[in-house]
Amino acid sequence: MFRRILIANRGEIALRILRACRTLGVEAVVAYSEADRDSLPAQLADEAICIGPADARRSYLSAPAIISAALVTGCDAIHPGYGFLSEDETFAEVVRAHDLTFIGPPPDVLDRFASKEGTRRLLGGFGLPTIPGSTMISDDDHALREADKIGYPVLIKPSAGGGGKGMRMVRTSRELESAIKICRSEAKSAFGDDSLYLEKWLDDNRHVEVQVAVDRFGAGVHFGERDCSVQRRHQKILEEGPTPALSAEARAALADKAIKAVVAAGYENVGTLEFLIDGAGNAYFIEINCRIQVEHPVTELLTGIDLVTLQIKIAAGEPLGLRQSDVVTRGHAIEFRINAEDPAHDFRPGAGVIERYHAPGGPGVRMDSHLYPGYEVPPYYDSLLGKLIVWGPDRPTAIARGRAALEELLVEGVTTNIEIHRALLENETFLEGRMTTNLLDRVGGAAFLAAAAAR
Amino acid sequence: MPEAGRQRERQDGGSDASRQVDHAGIARLADELLPALIAKLSTTDLGELEVREGEWHVRLRRPYGVGPGEGRRASDKPSRSQPGHEGHGHGRAGVEGHRPARSPGSGSGSGSTGVASGVTAGSGAASAATNGSSGGPRSGSARDTDGTDRSRAIATSPAVGTFNPGSRAVSGTRVRAGDSLGTVDMLGVPQDIPAPADGIVGQTLVEAGMAVEYGQELIRLELTAPAAPAASAEAR
Repeated sequence: MFRRILIANRGEIALRILRACRTLGVEAVVAYSEADRDSLPAQLADEAICIGPADARRSYLSAPAIISAALVTGCDAIHPGYGFLSEDETFAEVVRAHDLTFIGPPPDVLDRFASKEGTRRLLGGFGLPTIPGSTMISDDDHALREADKIGYPVLIKPSAGGGGKGMRMVRTSRELESAIKICRSEAKSAFGDDSLYLEKWLDDNRHVEVQVAVDRFGAGVHFGERDCSVQRRHQKILEEGPTPALSAEARAALADKAIKAVVAAGYENVGTLEFLIDGAGNAYFIEINCRIQVEHPVTELLTGIDLVTLQIKIAAGEPLGLRQSDVVTRGHAIEFRINAEDPAHDFRPGAGVIERYHAPGGPGVRMDSHLYPGYEVPPYYDSLLGKLIVWGPDRPTAIARGRAALEELLVEGVTTNIEIHRALLENETFLEGRMTTNLLDRVGGAAFLAAAAAR
Repeated sequence: MPEAGRQRERQDGGSDASRQVDHAGIARLADELLPALIAKLSTTDLGELEVREGEWHVRLRRPYGVGPGEGRRASDKPSRSQPGHEGHGHGRAGVEGHRPARSPGSGSGSGSTGVASGVTAGSGAASAATNGSSGGPRSGSARDTDGTDRSRAIATSPAVGTFNPGSRAVSGTRVRAGDSLGTVDMLGVPQDIPAPADGIVGQTLVEAGMAVEYGQELIRLELTAPAAPAASAEAR
């Protein structure tokens, strides 16, 4: 096991990793930017070291600053958390070159799973159903033929980059012909690469993901799935498990396929395989996340297994110590992401000083947050203030506990999205377990709140 | 990289303005470009990387025979050679000018070598002169506004790493704004600690060789402002 870990992240996940280190009896050093000097993780750490200014490019995204900080504080491993450098194979490689351990998949594994298109083909080869799609499009005729084969609507996607650039959904061949030109020029200017491919577009899809862990020796288990269909512009807002979209048999079959494919493909450490589920309950693999995820506590409450300490142990070369039969999921869990953003005004992000803060409690209630009264939320980073996670023996109980906890949760000083969660727990579509990823965007945040208020 | 700054001082008479432009440019390079380049270089088995940005050229060269883990020690002194259109050519095969060449040591040293310490930064003389004259008046007046109302200043760490005080970091030494007071070694690459103002060096707050964090206070300065007596009395 490691002696001392550098936590190269901020906010609630830095605190979460710090708690895991304490549990393992490992010292923790928090690397922070000037904007996070007074943050809770920096205050609670065994040692805290400033690595740069508020600008993330010169602090949380600066590989040399982070590695230098790890070396001068005598750390032997770096935990990147999520976001920032957590899936950067170059960073992982440099970390290793300095005789430090990157807590996550080894660099060659990260590299193997770096391309979305490539990963889909790789895991498709190991038995995962992947979303129907084309090879790279050579010309318009080729695109039209491929689209006919896949069936409209289709999504035009650039092979490089991300963030929605060069991406268009089209419903007819005529739309395809005109959109493909726009996509090419967008992709060219954004990524310097205008190669495109097509993917089947699922109108009312659900987002379901399988949590896995694989050790260095090729032993792997899955921890069931999470449903992340409550999204706004591809950002998850609320996650729950198990998914209401699939039967127990279908869930077990999906998780089983997922773990077999990643073990066969040589994955290592914790990871998440994301799937889209269509209206008929068919699952299509879309991508893998090679890191601990924001919503990991849902799985922790369902299984009673600490995924962050497990992640650290795997990185330290320890065997998994778990067989599939040791992983038992019980009841139902829901996570609410509490963000500093205003749902009534297009989810505009905010910043400011937390004047009052009270975290809810009671049976099956967990709050992972770095807030404290007087803490100033800096404007430079993402707006996540914390996560409220509730557990119940069944979904209705979890929802009831969620309502009570959201009622009790108090965050004053910045505008939060707590209202949208309260509205969700009154929304019929959600209560019936029929949320699709496009629902919030289609309705709009303000209208959604108004509808809930009118009930 | 104070050499580059001094170099130019001789060329164009050493006006404060051009020196400031120089230091600002160097500081920016050191802060933003170098770390990225180093990260890049350490993951490849290239022997050398060169980047041009405006009038600046930065070349990173992997020293001979540096194996994994050794790079961060950087005991070998970085070679700060002069403006870089041609470079030295040592350690490079007879490849054309700015193409990265494979390091002779890369076969044994593996692709995951630590960090190179051969850093070259410089500016072409012609472009430097142009920049100096155009950037002059602005930077000069900017300095006047914030230089007059304090009697003390503190040089802080530009990076997280280990502290190496320079020859000027001795109590009583008279320095000018931008003069190097030493370096902070970040993964083998020295990051310059510029004097924040004209003044006299006071106490050094950190021992040589100690780990320092970004922004840590390192060296005190007593200011020698032009309109000194009145201004400093007011400040107290």
